[in-house]
Amino acid sequence: MSFPDPIAVFRTEAAELLEQIETGLLDLNHDLADKEQVDAVFRGLHTLKGSGAMFGFEALAAFTHHCETAFDQVRKGIVPATHDLVTAVLGATDHMRALIETPNGDHEAASEVLLAGLRAAVAAAADPSQTPAAAAPAKPQDVGYRIRFSLPANAMANGTNPLGLLDELAELGTCRIRADKSDIPSLDLIVASDLHVRWDVELLTDQPRSAIEDVFIFVMDEMQLDIAALSPNPAAAPAAVPAVAAPVSSATPAPVVAAPTPAPALASAPAPAPATAPVPAETRQNETKQAKSAENVRVPAERLDELMDRVGELVIAQSRLSQLANSSADLQLRAVSEDVERLSGELRDTMMVLRMVPVAHLFSRFRRLVHDLAIETGKKIELITEGETTEVDKSVVERLADPLVHLVRNSCDHGLETPEERIAAGKPAAGRIYLTARQQAGEVIITIRDDGRGINRERVRAKAEASGLIASNATLSDQELLQLIFQPGFSTAQQVTNLSGRGVGMDVVKRTIDALRGTINVASQNGEGSNISLAIPLTLAIIDGLLVRVGNGRYVIPLSAVEECLELSLDEDMRSRGRSFISLRDSLVPFIRLRDLFRTGTKPDPFQKVVVISTGAERVGLVVDQIIGDHQTVIKGMSKLHHDVATFSGATILGDGGVALILDVGHLVAAGQQQEAQLRAAG
Amino acid sequence: MLSTPSASFTITLPDTLTIRSIASVRDDLLQAIQDQDTVIVQVPADAQADLSFLQLIESARIYAGTAGKRLALESPVEGRLLSLLQRAGFAEDMSADDAGFWLHQGEIQ
Repeated sequence: MSFPDPIAVFRTEAAELLEQIETGLLDLNHDLADKEQVDAVFRGLHTLKGSGAMFGFEALAAFTHHCETAFDQVRKGIVPATHDLVTAVLGATDHMRALIETPNGDHEAASEVLLAGLRAAVAAAADPSQTPAAAAPAKPQDVGYRIRFSLPANAMANGTNPLGLLDELAELGTCRIRADKSDIPSLDLIVASDLHVRWDVELLTDQPRSAIEDVFIFVMDEMQLDIAALSPNPAAAPAAVPAVAAPVSSATPAPVVAAPTPAPALASAPAPAPATAPVPAETRQNETKQAKSAENVRVPAERLDELMDRVGELVIAQSRLSQLANSSADLQLRAVSEDVERLSGELRDTMMVLRMVPVAHLFSRFRRLVHDLAIETGKKIELITEGETTEVDKSVVERLADPLVHLVRNSCDHGLETPEERIAAGKPAAGRIYLTARQQAGEVIITIRDDGRGINRERVRAKAEASGLIASNATLSDQELLQLIFQPGFSTAQQVTNLSGRGVGMDVVKRTIDALRGTINVASQNGEGSNISLAIPLTLAIIDGLLVRVGNGRYVIPLSAVEECLELSLDEDMRSRGRSFISLRDSLVPFIRLRDLFRTGTKPDPFQKVVVISTGAERVGLVVDQIIGDHQTVIKGMSKLHHDVATFSGATILGDGGVALILDVGHLVAAGQQQEAQLRAAG
Repeated sequence: MLSTPSASFTITLPDTLTIRSIASVRDDLLQAIQDQDTVIVQVPADAQADLSFLQLIESARIYAGTAGKRLALESPVEGRLLSLLQRAGFAEDMSADDAGFWLHQGEIQ
């Protein structure tokens, strides 16, 4: 078994922490009095600093320390939270990412600039009318604590630095640190990288108990920690603790040389709480945290991918087994085959659930993007997100990020007007961008909608004609015209900005969505805004499919797109020649003869079938020779040679070892609709 | 690295005494104590050390004591190592034995 690289684990966790910090900052920006967000941001910065130091990211720890200090002052009410302070720390989070990515890079100058901005923001936040003495809250009395803690044996191997924790405790006040070495084994027995020491710390501090807990926040779930107030009378402690604590914080070795003989002051230190004394809330809290931590297990994404591959292989093997069993008269074999089929189906479903992640994680990054774009463009922009709990396969979420960035940027830069233009148009000064997600029939629909100026169709057409994308006076449906914005190099922006207007980006959106077997729908109304919907399959790994035969070939139609199956009667077949429509409950549905489309060169079966498929409101029938039945389809990508073949979105291996191509439903429905439009146009 | 002064072995530890290399330091130290009656540990003045090193030396002291061997530092800890000892809480409540070993206080060597 291989263990994950602790640095890689840290980077992953740090990225999550930074996202949490950013979310907290953006929430705080909406409500500067939100104490909960102030605490959340502080905790995030504190954890990042601590864990950064533990994993050797010293520059990150040192830089983050300043931001943490600033938020500590906010937390304590010394300075209020301001928009400038939030913006300064938001800028600092980007720098933290750089410090994580390239810890040995030359970041000093950038750090100084950002810290100068941070200091200025803190200074501006402080009330200038008050003297520092008056502004500072009354200094609370020092309180003594006895802190006993032990870390798991593998703590150091996992990157935790106990010395960092002790240093942080020492920063809280005056303290004496005693290592309990009684568990250190003999040299012939020791696992040298394990931790065998526990600590007993007496701390005299004016900080609240929560400050001590914050020191351990990153390791709290895995450690034993007892914090007990030393004495109800704080006056008793100061004399005892500082006397022996001084050498600990001293940089010069001299005082410590005298330390070996126990100082008399130690004897006068308040007696520790008896071991049997009820250790109240902290221990219970730890137990609860430990219980909670057991509820979730962090698993590297690649392991899930490996597991998915194994499940895929199992599904294929099960399919072979079913085929063998069905051709056998052995009833026991059939029973076992059915059991295996059921179990592999359940395993597949469980696996799919494991891979599903809410889009909230994806959406959260756009809050920061919109915040920055609003500053950059001088526009007022509100981002409204809905459906964050909608779950999608993790690989889909990962690949959706870039297209959505392009679309949101485009809305901010081109879609929304300036506040002056909006007011002149009778709209609120602040433009709105809606980012929503919902599930619909095996697909996730992600919509980016804005209430801006809308897409200028005349300009799109003129640009397309000028670029040679369409012929002059070409007849295009509204959707075809709007889809031109996804052509490579297409941009109607009159000005190229840092954000968009170079015509690069929207074609990337189209390519990515195509690669995800998804479709893009554009709607726009002049003066009212645009709406771009992305329909993406929920998963890219295994789907339920309907296996059909066309000629001698077998094909899979995603079951989620199948509405119904009908028999194409000879009469209807004859009647439809030249028009290819069937009448389905008083509505005409276009159909495509796959035998013709695939040029099988075979004679049609006497009783052909129509499989009606749909994408939302649009339907099309696919004429096939035989419907074989349902099939758990493990999706395999097409080879590079066949990558640009439309009509097929992938391939799968069947139980008998043969290969079936998976039909691209979106493409076929579009082809059917096009056929319908042409026929209607022809009258 | 082992060398043989007249009546004892001196083991010179590497410059890096952190968790990354501590396992091999442990093996060398164990071998030295098993082979010799007296082992002197020479720690480079500018050695980079962490808590695992302090643990290891304490562990070696236990082993040497049990095996009836003698283990000592060539010179008292100072500078970064002394600071490490303090930060880790090893300097607090030192017994006379500990002080003799780490700081060469009292009778040692």
